[in-house]
Amino acid sequence: MNELVTVEGLSLSFHSGSGWTRVLHQVSFSILRGEVLGLVGESGCGKSTIGLALLGYKAKNARIDAGRVLYKGQDLLRLERSELDRLRGDRIGFVPQNPTTALNPGMRVGEQLAETLNLHGRSQNLEERLRELFGLVGLSRIERIAERYPHELSGGQQQRVCIAIALACDPDLVVLDEPTTGLDVTTQEQIISLLRELRARLGMAMLYVTHDLGLLAQIASRIGVMYAGHLVELANARLLFREPRHPYTQGLIGSVPRIEAPRGDAPAPLRGLLRRQDLPPGCPFSPRCPLSTDRCGREPQKLASIDGNHAVACWRWPETTLLAGHVAIPAAPSRGDMVNPLLELRNVSIAYGVRSGLLGRLLPGQPFAAVTNLDVVIGQGETFALVGESGSGKSTVARAVSGLLPPRSGQICFNRKQLQPMVQHRSSEQRRRIQYIFQNPDASLNPRARVGTILARPVKLWGASDIRARVTAALADVRLDSAYAMRFPDELSGGERQRVAIARALVAEPALLICDEVLSALDVSVQANILDLLKRLRRERNLTLLFISHDLAVVRSIADRVGVLFRGELMSVGPVERIFAPPHHPYTLSLLEAVPKIEHVENRKPRPPAMPSAANMAPRCAYAGRCAFQLGRTCIDIEPPWQETGGGLRIRCHIPLQELAALSELGRMPASAAVTVP
Amino acid sequence: MSTVERAAAAPSLWTKLAETPLSLRIGAAILFLHLLVAATGPLWAPYGYSQMATGIPLAPASLAHPFGVDQLGRDVFSRVIHGGHIVLLLSLSGTALGLVIGSLIGLLSGYVGGLVDNVVQRLLEALISIPFLVLALLAMVAAGPELSGNPLLVVFVVALVYAPRIARMARTAAIEISTRDFVTIAKLRGESAVSVMRRELLPNATSILLVEFALRAGYAPVLIGSLGFLGFGLRPPTPEWGLMISENRSLVMIAPATVIGPGLALASLVVGLNLFTEGIARILGRTVRLGVQQ
Amino acid sequence: MFVTRLIAQRLVMALFTLLLVSFLIYAVLEILPGDVATRILGRDATAQSIAALRERLHLNDPALLRYLRWLGGVLHGDFGESLVSSRRVLEVLAPRVMNTAFLSAYAFLLYIPLATIPALIQAVRRDRPVDHAMSVITLVLLSMPDFLLGTLLLLLFVLAIPVLPAMSTVDQTSDLAEYLRATTLPALTLAIVMAVYAVRMLRDNLIEVLDADYIRMAELRGVPARRVVWRHALPNALVPSLNVTALNLAYLVGGVVVVEKVFGYPGFGSLLVDSLQLRDFPLIEATILIAAAVYIAANFLADVAAILLNPKLRTG
Repeated sequence: MNELVTVEGLSLSFHSGSGWTRVLHQVSFSILRGEVLGLVGESGCGKSTIGLALLGYKAKNARIDAGRVLYKGQDLLRLERSELDRLRGDRIGFVPQNPTTALNPGMRVGEQLAETLNLHGRSQNLEERLRELFGLVGLSRIERIAERYPHELSGGQQQRVCIAIALACDPDLVVLDEPTTGLDVTTQEQIISLLRELRARLGMAMLYVTHDLGLLAQIASRIGVMYAGHLVELANARLLFREPRHPYTQGLIGSVPRIEAPRGDAPAPLRGLLRRQDLPPGCPFSPRCPLSTDRCGREPQKLASIDGNHAVACWRWPETTLLAGHVAIPAAPSRGDMVNPLLELRNVSIAYGVRSGLLGRLLPGQPFAAVTNLDVVIGQGETFALVGESGSGKSTVARAVSGLLPPRSGQICFNRKQLQPMVQHRSSEQRRRIQYIFQNPDASLNPRARVGTILARPVKLWGASDIRARVTAALADVRLDSAYAMRFPDELSGGERQRVAIARALVAEPALLICDEVLSALDVSVQANILDLLKRLRRERNLTLLFISHDLAVVRSIADRVGVLFRGELMSVGPVERIFAPPHHPYTLSLLEAVPKIEHVENRKPRPPAMPSAANMAPRCAYAGRCAFQLGRTCIDIEPPWQETGGGLRIRCHIPLQELAALSELGRMPASAAVTVP
Repeated sequence: MSTVERAAAAPSLWTKLAETPLSLRIGAAILFLHLLVAATGPLWAPYGYSQMATGIPLAPASLAHPFGVDQLGRDVFSRVIHGGHIVLLLSLSGTALGLVIGSLIGLLSGYVGGLVDNVVQRLLEALISIPFLVLALLAMVAAGPELSGNPLLVVFVVALVYAPRIARMARTAAIEISTRDFVTIAKLRGESAVSVMRRELLPNATSILLVEFALRAGYAPVLIGSLGFLGFGLRPPTPEWGLMISENRSLVMIAPATVIGPGLALASLVVGLNLFTEGIARILGRTVRLGVQQ
Repeated sequence: MFVTRLIAQRLVMALFTLLLVSFLIYAVLEILPGDVATRILGRDATAQSIAALRERLHLNDPALLRYLRWLGGVLHGDFGESLVSSRRVLEVLAPRVMNTAFLSAYAFLLYIPLATIPALIQAVRRDRPVDHAMSVITLVLLSMPDFLLGTLLLLLFVLAIPVLPAMSTVDQTSDLAEYLRATTLPALTLAIVMAVYAVRMLRDNLIEVLDADYIRMAELRGVPARRVVWRHALPNALVPSLNVTALNLAYLVGGVVVVEKVFGYPGFGSLLVDSLQLRDFPLIEATILIAAAVYIAANFLADVAAILLNPKLRTG
């Protein structure tokens, strides 16, 4: 009796304005004591609903159509509230997706943690237990942590508090619902290693719900793949990555851009879109499946075991190995005409909170320096990526280039002519040649205008006459049917809206396209499609791209050169292969290590997190405070020099290049350099 | 390989209609009734609105006189019917005028920002600081004694009272809409302020403004009724409902129907308007706060 | 400290608004084009009476000077002389303001339970028949003008159930008991008008809080339902409800005007109406200024309370 929790044939529907929609179809699986089961799928596949069901929770507008969730012989879905109250927080814990909203803003965190302990009868030695728990999640170094309010903590710290609450009563099972979405990559890595460590120590079982397959590779022992409410594959993690059998799983794995893959490889993305209204009675994936036949559409597929550790819901599983693997495309020659640079940023500094004009002189505000002394040259036809975490200033740079935010100092030149800082002062031609695509497709299209009108406006403005034809051509360019012109944005999916935004930018026939995190708001498979689209369009029109992103894997796939930003300062810049190969700037190294990789299913020893030095007032190297290899006062008092490698990579660091190259292998500082932390 | 996506089928008009909330349907029904009576009433009302000696003064309600007879011998029921169009006309036109003035000022001020916006905001704050009724009364008095009783004055005063509040709403809407990326894209194209207002701001503000209109129009009868009740609205013998309640109030003990009659009419109109407002708001995805405090 | 700076900012804005209002009031009445004296006395007034009035009110002085003189007086508590009774305005105002203050306090006391209890019931029993029934009742009561409501209450409690007096006249000789009897009906009227507005808003606020992520999280941690409502939801619903109360206080200022007239209560509101009818400009200016001042003060207090209660401004 190794099973802790068993889900049996769970079917569930949600009620909305237009009736009941089935969201889970006959889902069955078990979680064994002490194992980590990962549940992966894209948005709307029902994984979060299952996670909540393991706590006996269903939303108010949900209805159980069939099935049970068995824990110690009891069906959690049919228990009374009082009985559930006893189990929840005590035997079964929950770590939420958004820790900021999950903590009561008006209650101190210590009080919220203590509440859980008190409610479940563990009030002896409360103070000590609180200290112990905060120490367990790595928060003991924060002064008087128990008395803090949630808003005084960072996202990562808030999530640690939530983990502490989930573990307070030593539960048998912890359900985690996308616990690291919305956190920075490096914070994400810290949380994952914390979870791994805790599991090793406490031995509880986990259900880890996420859309990120790479994450599961770090932590899960078994993985279940969900599509449109069906569990389509369930296997031991290693097995799943080595031999995925369900076509959807293969497409999902193929959609994730790889950091290590050679540049030329294009992943094999999933075709088409999930349309809930058009789901066939049989396998839900059949409309998009390259192997589908009539039988697939008719016959519902049950999850069937193909050997002890592997179950698939596809009758064609013996043939699906044919699909595995990448499609290799010969590497394109490096792009970018640097002789005629398209965009130059010379010594650009940008700040927020600067008041202009008379008011600015009378009441100088407290400007916040967002970008400092940036020097970047982008050649015609090349794709330059700007990477960094949130707050690094990359979007600020984009806004300055487009003319929305004037730099405090420095120049921006386009085609060798200096650009006016504000967009209103630029020429119409300059405005046309620089186009911008925003992150959030919901906000970047006027909800009250039809797609056709949205696309026609730039055409009209920049003086072309054959509007209808151009709009249809633009839609075709982004692979949308001409009927889309009559639709309103809210009738389109997220991916479709982003395509319209791209079409709108292209219809002006620009030279420079600024892509500001254009993939971040989309599902993984949709991301792959849009990425594909951008590459093709760039090839066809010889576009120059300024590509802003925090996602290194995407950048690896599309960029020619990369600049790495930390707190508004350029740390490293160079051709994309050089950036991803040693020697790395210490910050680049930490970013690369933080990215979850599918290949490393083995447990990797995590690097100890960097110690934030206490008394660092405006160090010369912006990264000094967080750098694991900081050279003491050198990094604080002296401006780090730019060092250049043979392959065109430039790194701004005091540590010599040979030692930097050695860092990624050894994982520790060579003895020669002195490390003194003030 | 990528394929050309086909657009999903758009929901038809019928499905949208069938989903109208109950409140909207009931509200619309009540309003329709009121409109009908207001428009056709004078044709079939038993008596004229100032016709006296229709029955025994202060007689209780009866079949011949459903709302009784007032002390001047006039049939209250007929008066109520005759007065329907007055309230409706004054309410709707006053609110409409207020809406036009208010939204223009508010949208412009919100989008332009800067010093202009600051000044406008201060002025609006000051005007809103004077309670509704008090402001209306102030305006009435300031207009001088000759204009008292003039329906146009009432319309203007209603517009004056509502415009600042509507302007504040429109300003907030303009500010919020201006933060959205598609407005930034328009700015990046170099569009003029007027063009942005017309194409990007106004279409996205219509739902807010529509709800504002419905909300204010719902309370205009109360405002006008209050003015009439206090003797500052229209003059007798106009059959304005608030005025009627005031006239008949002193004798409410003896002849309660003469007060309940116009009261019922007024209350039911406001109920209809409120339900309609709630329904519209639900369709447009907004929340409203009904209440005279607005 | 950041918080004190915020509050100071609000205070400055409030005072500035009040100043602006005072100017608006004075301007509308006395500075607008057209002769002030004629506006007061009417077109049929004799030339002598107009001249006499002009003299009395110093209307020949420049407008701005008159405003500043008036403003200066106000800051010293001197609102001038009533045109009708020739008594100092302050003398006329003071007892009326006290009366209205009593009435308002009474109305507020009645309003609090009338608003909070139904809101709680509705929020906890959301979408059940109780909720719908209460919504209907509040809607109907909402839609009634206050003068109608007052008159109907009069009918109910004086005619049908004779417990209270029809007219609420009180004077200096009345004692507390008489005050209470006289003000119960008007206070009840005001309380109901305020409560039906507040119930809807409180219900929505409570529901919004109950739908919040941290409430769901509390449930998922095993916190019993009752504790979720009392310890987690209510404290966070407190802040938005302050806004409601401020709006209601603001309503009160205007609402007393009508309600006092309905019941013949000698308060601030009926004074305003009388002075308007008699075109007693100094009295009008004073009463409206006070009304606006109370409104602004109420909003200011609500702002301050919101700032102080905002968890994001608290530190551990």
